[in-house]
Amino acid sequence: MAETTIQLDILTPLGPKRHGVVVPGVEVPGLLGELGVLPEHVPFITPVVPGVVRFRNGAESVRIAVGAGFLEVTRDNRVVILVERALEVSEIDANKAREDLKRVQADLSHDLGSIDAAEHRKLVTEQGWLEAQIRATQP
Amino acid sequence: MANLKEIRGRITTVKNTRKITSAMSRIAAARLVKAQQAAMGARPYGERLDQVVGSLVASLGSGEGEGDGGEAGAAHPLLLKRSGNGRVVIVHITADRGLAGGFNANLNRAVLNFIRKERESGNDVVLLTVGKKGRSFFQHSGQKIVRHHDAPTLGDLVVKAKMVAAEVMAMFTGGKEGGDTELPQVDRVYFAYNYFKNVLTQQPKVEQLLPFESREIVNDERVLPVLEPGRDALLGHLLPIAVESRLQQAFFNSIAGEVAARRTAMDSASDNATQLIRELTLFYNRERQAAITKELMEIIGGAEALKG
Repeated sequence: MAETTIQLDILTPLGPKRHGVVVPGVEVPGLLGELGVLPEHVPFITPVVPGVVRFRNGAESVRIAVGAGFLEVTRDNRVVILVERALEVSEIDANKAREDLKRVQADLSHDLGSIDAAEHRKLVTEQGWLEAQIRATQP
Repeated sequence: MANLKEIRGRITTVKNTRKITSAMSRIAAARLVKAQQAAMGARPYGERLDQVVGSLVASLGSGEGEGDGGEAGAAHPLLLKRSGNGRVVIVHITADRGLAGGFNANLNRAVLNFIRKERESGNDVVLLTVGKKGRSFFQHSGQKIVRHHDAPTLGDLVVKAKMVAAEVMAMFTGGKEGGDTELPQVDRVYFAYNYFKNVLTQQPKVEQLLPFESREIVNDERVLPVLEPGRDALLGHLLPIAVESRLQQAFFNSIAGEVAARRTAMDSASDNATQLIRELTLFYNRERQAAITKELMEIIGGAEALKG
C-alpha cells in the first residue's frame, strides 16, 4: 500500500511544537545539506543543523526555525525532528534577531583570537540560530 | 488566669502559621501546573533522544556494522570505560529552598548512602551540586564540592543544563576541553535527582551519566536505519546532546517535584494547624468554664461563710 502522506512530529525540550501532523512531505536543513523527506522514505537518521523546516499543512505552508538536533524517519512512515529549540514564524521577532545577529557578527569579526574556543563556538551557534530565525521570516 | 492567656496566645500563633502555610500551598499549586506541563512536555523529546542514541550505542556493542566504526579509535570518548583514578563525580540536583517535606532530605540521604558504598569500594567521590540545599547538607557532612550552581528555573534550565553538561564532559575527558584545572579528572559521572512520578510521589534516583550507557536494552527487532553520515560522526554529534538532554530531564523533574512536594507538605501543615487550633479552642473553652465555676464556688463559699 503506497502511502501518500507522512506523520510529522517536531519535539523540543520545551515541549512538542507539532505532534502527529499529516503532511505530504517535509524539507529539513540536514548536516550534509537541505533535504526533503517524502512518504515511504527508508528508515533514516541524520543530524539537523540550525535552519528552517518547511512543510505544507493543508493549504497553509508552514515554516519553523529550528536549532541543532536530528531527524529520524521510522518504519511506520513517521518523521520525528528532535531539536534543541524551535520557533514558529509568528513567534520570531525578526528585528530583534537582526540586531542580535549584527552584534554577534561584530563580536565574531573583532575578537577573533582574543576569545577562547568555547566562546567562539557559542557565538557561532548563536549566529546560526539567529540566521535561521531571519530566514524563516523571509518567504 | 495566666493559663487562659497563654492558650489564647498559642491559638493566635498557630493561626498565623496556618496563614503562611496555606499561602505557600496555594502558590505552589499555581506553579505546579506550569512546572508539571513543562516536565511532561519535555519527556517525549528526552525519551526519543535517549532511545535513538541508546540503540546506536547498543549497536556499537554488538559489533554490527563494524566496517564504519573500526578506524576512528573504536568508540567515542564519552563511551569509553575509564580506569584511571577511580574518582567519581555526582551531579546532585536539589532545590534552593526548603519547606518541601522530604524532597531535599530524601535525596541527600540517598546520595550519602551512595557515597558510602563508593567509598567502601575504594573510590574517591566529589560532588557538583545544583541547588543550595544539597550544597549546605554536604558542606556540613564534609564532602568535597568541586562546583556549585543554584537550582535551575524553567527559564534558564536549558542554558544551565548546557553548562553542567560541558563541565562534567570536561571532567570525564580529563579536562582537555578549555583546560580547566579546577575540575578534577574523573572516571565516572553520576547524577542524582528527584524523579517526578506524580504529584504525590517523587523518587530519589541516582543514575550513571558517563560513560554513556543506554538505559534499557532496546530490544526491538527493527534493523538499524540508514545513517547519514556514518555512525561515528552521528554519535559524535548526538552524544553531547544526549548528555545535555538527560540533565535537562533531571532538572525538569526536579523543578516539578519540588513544587509538588512543597504543595503536599504545606497542605498537610495547614491541615495539622487546623486540627491543632480546634483542639486548643476546645481546651481553652473548658479551662475558661472551669475558671468561671471556680470563681462562682468561691463567691458562694464566701457568702455562706458570712451568713453563718
